[in-house]
Amino acid sequence: MYLYLPVALTSINIFLPLGLGLLVGLLSGLFGVGGGFLMTPLLIMMGIPSTVAAATDSNQIVAASTSGTYAHWKVGNVDFKMGIYLLIGGFLGGLGGVQVIKVLRAMGNADFVIKMTYVLMLGIVGIYMFIESLASMKKKGGQEAAVQEKQEEKTSAIGAFLKSLPFQTRFEKSGVTHSALVPIVLGGFVGVLAAIMGVGGGFLMVPVMVYMLRMPMHVVVGTSLFQILFTCIEVTFLQAYTNHTVDFVLAVLLLIGSTVGAQVGTVFGRKLKADQLKILLAVIVLVVTVKIVFELTLTPSLLLSQAGGH
Amino acid sequence: MRKKTIYLKALHLFALLLAGGFWAMPDDARALSVKANHDNIKVGFFYHGSTVKVSGAAGAGSGVVIKITAPEGHQVLRKKGKAAGVLWMNTGSLSFERVPDLYFIRSTAKPESILTPQELEANVIGYGALGRHMEIKPCADEQEKARWFSELVKYKENTRLFSPSGGITVADPSGKREFSTEINWPYQAPSGEYTVTAYEVRDGKVIARSQAKITVEHVGAVKLFADMAKKNAALYGLISLVVAVGAGFGVGMIFGKGGGAH
Repeated sequence: MYLYLPVALTSINIFLPLGLGLLVGLLSGLFGVGGGFLMTPLLIMMGIPSTVAAATDSNQIVAASTSGTYAHWKVGNVDFKMGIYLLIGGFLGGLGGVQVIKVLRAMGNADFVIKMTYVLMLGIVGIYMFIESLASMKKKGGQEAAVQEKQEEKTSAIGAFLKSLPFQTRFEKSGVTHSALVPIVLGGFVGVLAAIMGVGGGFLMVPVMVYMLRMPMHVVVGTSLFQILFTCIEVTFLQAYTNHTVDFVLAVLLLIGSTVGAQVGTVFGRKLKADQLKILLAVIVLVVTVKIVFELTLTPSLLLSQAGGH
Repeated sequence: MRKKTIYLKALHLFALLLAGGFWAMPDDARALSVKANHDNIKVGFFYHGSTVKVSGAAGAGSGVVIKITAPEGHQVLRKKGKAAGVLWMNTGSLSFERVPDLYFIRSTAKPESILTPQELEANVIGYGALGRHMEIKPCADEQEKARWFSELVKYKENTRLFSPSGGITVADPSGKREFSTEINWPYQAPSGEYTVTAYEVRDGKVIARSQAKITVEHVGAVKLFADMAKKNAALYGLISLVVAVGAGFGVGMIFGKGGGAH
């Protein structure tokens, strides 16, 4: 059964976006990522123009992250206070990132810098998460105490520095105490990179919360979804208002799948251990990295594409 | 009186010229006609392309070429190239002038075999003529232009908007040639007016032309959403957000009640 999409100006088999939405929603509920890195290229492969694919994807993420945030909130896995600090940082960082892109474009070769940043960040985050969660899974079978002690020693210098910062505040849900400046600065850092790369930044925000803010993995997933929800509300509105590239019909098809997928993902996520979740996310991030490296090195079948996309 | 004589002479001359011109045309050329059976394509929610039958009649023994085009316009596309000599990425954009959104050619024999190069050029029939007719900027030389034109053809053929060849069925009842061809109208073709031109060909030359129109228009919900996205962008954006947030909460509550999340 086919439906005609009024903004994408193309006809699509409705089972494709429904299935794709389900898959990406599942990842969203499991790992707290928006899934834009997966959804946008797959939509383009289905014949959706790249500009419409990116904008409609953010509309769909609004639905999936609302569904996911709601499911995680019901089981007490959303740290709203931390989420709001990260959002403030992310918003300021996003503004900065847009300026960085302007400078890069003026200097020429902006696309090269953007792509390389993307590949490097994905690669580093994926490899680090993979190795760390593998080591963590192994250590549970052996000398747990010794490794933990060693790790605590390693982080104590950074810990001391973080403790010395002003505006210390307790984040009850996450069970951590940080200076309010820490999530704002880290959120800002992710915001800059996300704006440069043109992505939501969920895959960066999750490791930042796990490794730098030391939050428990399940609270990280819920809080990340809460933060993604607001980022994508802003992006969707701007895309619809300035570029007219949000396809409402396509978004509805995708969100039917993704809202259900996010709920199922949350249920599965609660059955998995934190390390299992981390290693699965690391594998997905690494697969996406390899895919981008292939795209960059193999001759593309078409050398022309619609202007305005990623 | 003298004035009246001059008027009469002029009238006679005009009539003679008109008659001369008319009779100078081959008999068969006057018979050329073309029509599309489905000339108003309505794009609704369940639209997945259409089939258009183009048919007509020409003089007995004539060759026929049918060209279907959208009005020519300006298009900007991103081009991919190798950055730092190894990595494929966007390396700028190209501006294409006088490019039709859609370009279909159908003919009784290969256009190159029944038309002279001059006629192909004058009537923009075939990729060779279309390439020379178009302007591509920035291009350093003709070689580069030809390269990017062939990439444009690949891009357009990928979305089924360019189709350079296809046959025409002919039947020859007494004294004329009836022709017809079926076009798989692509769903990717945007709304607008398309021109079907039939060329009657004899001895390498176009001896007559006839035109018909095909209109593609959005209707119903497709038109409503397409118009709102452009004309009421803020409202459209807000509705998209409200529906997304509502759907997220709705599904969350259904799962919550059903115990799915617990």
